[in-house]
Amino acid sequence: MNLSTPRNLRFIVKEKNMKTRVLQSVLPVFLGVAALLLSACSNDNGKATESAESAPDVTAEMQAFYDDNPEFFSFKTPADLPAGLVWENGQHLPDLGSPEAKKGGTFSYYLNDFPRTLRRVGPDANGPFRGWINDFMIPSLANRHPNEGEYYSALAAEWSISPEDRTVYFKLDQAATWSDGVPITADDYMFMFFFYRSPHIVAPWYNNWYGTQYSNITKYDDYTISMTIPKSKPHFEDSLVGLSPIPKHFFKELGVDYVDRYQWRFVPTPGAYIIRDEDIKKGRSITLTRLDNWWAKDKKFFRNRFNVDKIRLNVIRDAAKAFEAYKRGDIDLFRLNTPELWYEKLPDSDEDVQKGYISKDTFYTDIPRPTYGLWMNTNKPLLDNKNVRVGIHHALNWTLVIDKFFRGDFRRMQTSADGFGPATHPTLKARTFDIDKAVSAFAKSGFTERGADGILVNAQGDRLSFTLSTPYGRYGDILTILKEEAIKAGLELRVEVLDATAGFKKANEKKHDIQFTALNVGGRYPRYWETYHSDNAYDQAFLADGSINPERKIKVQTNNIEALADWDIDQLINRYRAAVTEEELVATAHKLEEALYEHASFVPGFVQGYERSSHWRWLKFPDDFDVKESHYVYEGQLFWLDDSAKKETKSAMKAGEKFPVNINVHDKYKVQ
Amino acid sequence: MMITLNPQTQKKLRRFKAIKRGYYSFLLICLILVLTTFAELLINSRALLVSYEGEWFFPTYTQYHPGTDFGEDYAYETRYRALNARWQAEGSENWMLMPLVPYSPYENDSANGVFKPTAPSAAQQHYLGTDSTSRDILARLFYGIRIALLFALAFMVVVYLIGISIGCAMGFFGGVFDLVFQRLIEIWSNIPFLYMVIIVFSVIPNTLSIAARIGILLLVMVLFSWTSMTYYMRTETYKEKARDYVAAARIIGASNFRIIFKHILPNVLSTLVTFMPFTIIGAISSITALDYLGFGLPPPTPSLGELLKQGTATLRTAPWIVMSSFGTLVVILTLVTFIGEAVRESFDPKKFTVYR
Repeated sequence: MNLSTPRNLRFIVKEKNMKTRVLQSVLPVFLGVAALLLSACSNDNGKATESAESAPDVTAEMQAFYDDNPEFFSFKTPADLPAGLVWENGQHLPDLGSPEAKKGGTFSYYLNDFPRTLRRVGPDANGPFRGWINDFMIPSLANRHPNEGEYYSALAAEWSISPEDRTVYFKLDQAATWSDGVPITADDYMFMFFFYRSPHIVAPWYNNWYGTQYSNITKYDDYTISMTIPKSKPHFEDSLVGLSPIPKHFFKELGVDYVDRYQWRFVPTPGAYIIRDEDIKKGRSITLTRLDNWWAKDKKFFRNRFNVDKIRLNVIRDAAKAFEAYKRGDIDLFRLNTPELWYEKLPDSDEDVQKGYISKDTFYTDIPRPTYGLWMNTNKPLLDNKNVRVGIHHALNWTLVIDKFFRGDFRRMQTSADGFGPATHPTLKARTFDIDKAVSAFAKSGFTERGADGILVNAQGDRLSFTLSTPYGRYGDILTILKEEAIKAGLELRVEVLDATAGFKKANEKKHDIQFTALNVGGRYPRYWETYHSDNAYDQAFLADGSINPERKIKVQTNNIEALADWDIDQLINRYRAAVTEEELVATAHKLEEALYEHASFVPGFVQGYERSSHWRWLKFPDDFDVKESHYVYEGQLFWLDDSAKKETKSAMKAGEKFPVNINVHDKYKVQ
Repeated sequence: MMITLNPQTQKKLRRFKAIKRGYYSFLLICLILVLTTFAELLINSRALLVSYEGEWFFPTYTQYHPGTDFGEDYAYETRYRALNARWQAEGSENWMLMPLVPYSPYENDSANGVFKPTAPSAAQQHYLGTDSTSRDILARLFYGIRIALLFALAFMVVVYLIGISIGCAMGFFGGVFDLVFQRLIEIWSNIPFLYMVIIVFSVIPNTLSIAARIGILLLVMVLFSWTSMTYYMRTETYKEKARDYVAAARIIGASNFRIIFKHILPNVLSTLVTFMPFTIIGAISSITALDYLGFGLPPPTPSLGELLKQGTATLRTAPWIVMSSFGTLVVILTLVTFIGEAVRESFDPKKFTVYR
């Protein structure tokens, strides 16, 4: 049975009721059906309220899974721990929170849409709300210090990295508990692998990742574990210390109805904030509440963070309205990452800014940059021609976009992997707008004549015309600017702004010509296999001798949205993935970038080197404002509310008094 | 349909003319239609007339002229405004005549170096200002109105053709045919129109030209809009069918086709005509709403809805966008409504009614 059916039907019922022209004869039947459906909906509406006897019990299935995979799930004694382990805890690293921080208050912010589920895994779980219950909030075994790049202890009190056997040993923090008070033990980590590999969660990515990237977990006692990966690689510990457990006691009822059963149940968390049932106002708001006796509240890297008592997230679906709500003081903070917001809607001359009620902050970050750019589908006619692709590179006026649309605040992206420190190619530069070079590249591919409208045509009468689609409505304007400029080089781009779902679907199914999109990147090193290896472009792209397989079929639903299949690039990627030393890895990454530049299927777009935001005077931030590796200004939960400042500001607003203007640039982490 | 002007019709026309508000609205709409038909001559980045080295060029409707045609060093479309400014500055013998508003609806023309909305300025010839990427609002409105009006007219014609044919047939033949079609129409008209447009439009291949895509949008809208017209036509035909003149025509041996289109249709026309302006209003509103929601005409096609959307997002920072787009929409819809009221009144057999 399709589990989402009742909700869909309820929607239709509503529609029909609004129609006035309902026939007499059908009416009674119709009402009967409607009543039936409505009663069905009310069951589905809240949390799962199944009676005890219908609740499944996953314990036996879990045990069987452990027994079936003895090489993966090992049970040993503390005596089996290897001798001579060197334990680390990262306690030498500096604090993250500010000693000035105060606890208390309600931080108000907004969501564009109400979350579709409170599950952290499974259908619809990967939405924008995810950060508030997962990414920002949940500590892992050890967390990466966002300023220093080293690990500090979180759920694990200490850990020991053993590269020889590709294993990290962990001593868990015995104080750590789930938000419902149950201690976090080794069993929750064992269960984590069972959970993520279970078909019940309907999450293929998790099934695949946890099924292939790890080879063993060993329980020595309740608070000592080790985990192993199958293949050696530089900084292999990254994929182990970043793991976070799954509450075994809570998912006891895991079964085929997981998606529905856990749809609106808040999963116990090792983090500081919980969501109480009464704080879920469907479609309107959701509120997070801080745990008073959170186990980590006095730990070195968690103290003075997670300060506010409540985080209230109101649903405001319209961006313009959200800004007005901010200006009214209904929400405490607003991100100003478009030039329109920064310069037009909240200019420095704004009254609230000039009177010091509202601050404006530019914070430079140093993170791997999302790959905003044009992804050409090399499986499409004409785009399979390298000269055409090079011509397109030169026909795109990014300089104009950056200078005039982004007002010179953004930078041009130079490679497909900017912001990875040494792994990023140091000298490679993206091709620039040059009509002559574009025209000569197009000429090499046979496009020499211009048609009546100035667009190039070749001898067969094909127009040099491609669809440029994007899932980002907010960037539609950029594409129309690029389009107008590309006409000068005789290239026509048909702009197609899709909604997000349709846009990503199009690229995933490789139905696009050229897509303006971005993949979110992270980690210490860029990943190439997902986006550029032929394994993700075609089934059997090449024959054994390296020649193109004439019968190859395009592979959909992969991140290789350029359908890039190049024998030499494949070899480089294989070498990159097999690299065991950092030098080899970095050198191969640079070679790969050069090869990708030659292949010319990705047009690097722009890089935003900072995060811009604004907040009311009563919201306080540490002296440094934020951390080096930050994506959202509220990500690290470093801020706090100052109640006296709030009263002071409110009374000053009434009286029309002024405070010093607060417009700051924090360029400690600016990349030159 | 060719209708000879019988005294009845002439009387209706006289009455229509006598209703000043509706009549002048009609003239104004006609004027707008004519003006927008020749929009390229009024609002365009191409010059009307170029005199270059003694030779005359009329670039408006011709092939594009690369810059090299006029001694420039680039092979893309001539930038007429810049060229004109240079010629004037140099005191050159070459000259050109630019349209009243020398901007195309597509070009980003930033006076101050960044793409952002700029307030109306007669000096820069942006008479209604520019939108969020520095495109001329007047140009976009003008071309947007043209598309909306043509779209609405085409929509009306097709909807009426289908609605009249099927409605008349239902009324005329009656019986099982009528019964089956009524049920079909009831089912069909319960499909939510807006969702269908959104769904259908999301699966249209984007390789089609913009004109083809507008055509498909028209088709989809027609598909879900023709039903309402059938109800009126059906009842009217039922009524007329029972009259003596139809029986007489039948006795003479006229075919069904002839009876429907030659005898019945002219007599039910008054119902139709009164609906026409309101259908147009509906079509303009729908296309604007769809554009507003982002499911209408593909960007960067100029459209009222797209401007409205920009305007509502920049209410405070660039009020001229919403003012001009909203104002235009109000004016157009009001004019058509006035026409509609006048038409209804002039077709009303009772001269003195509560409607006056």
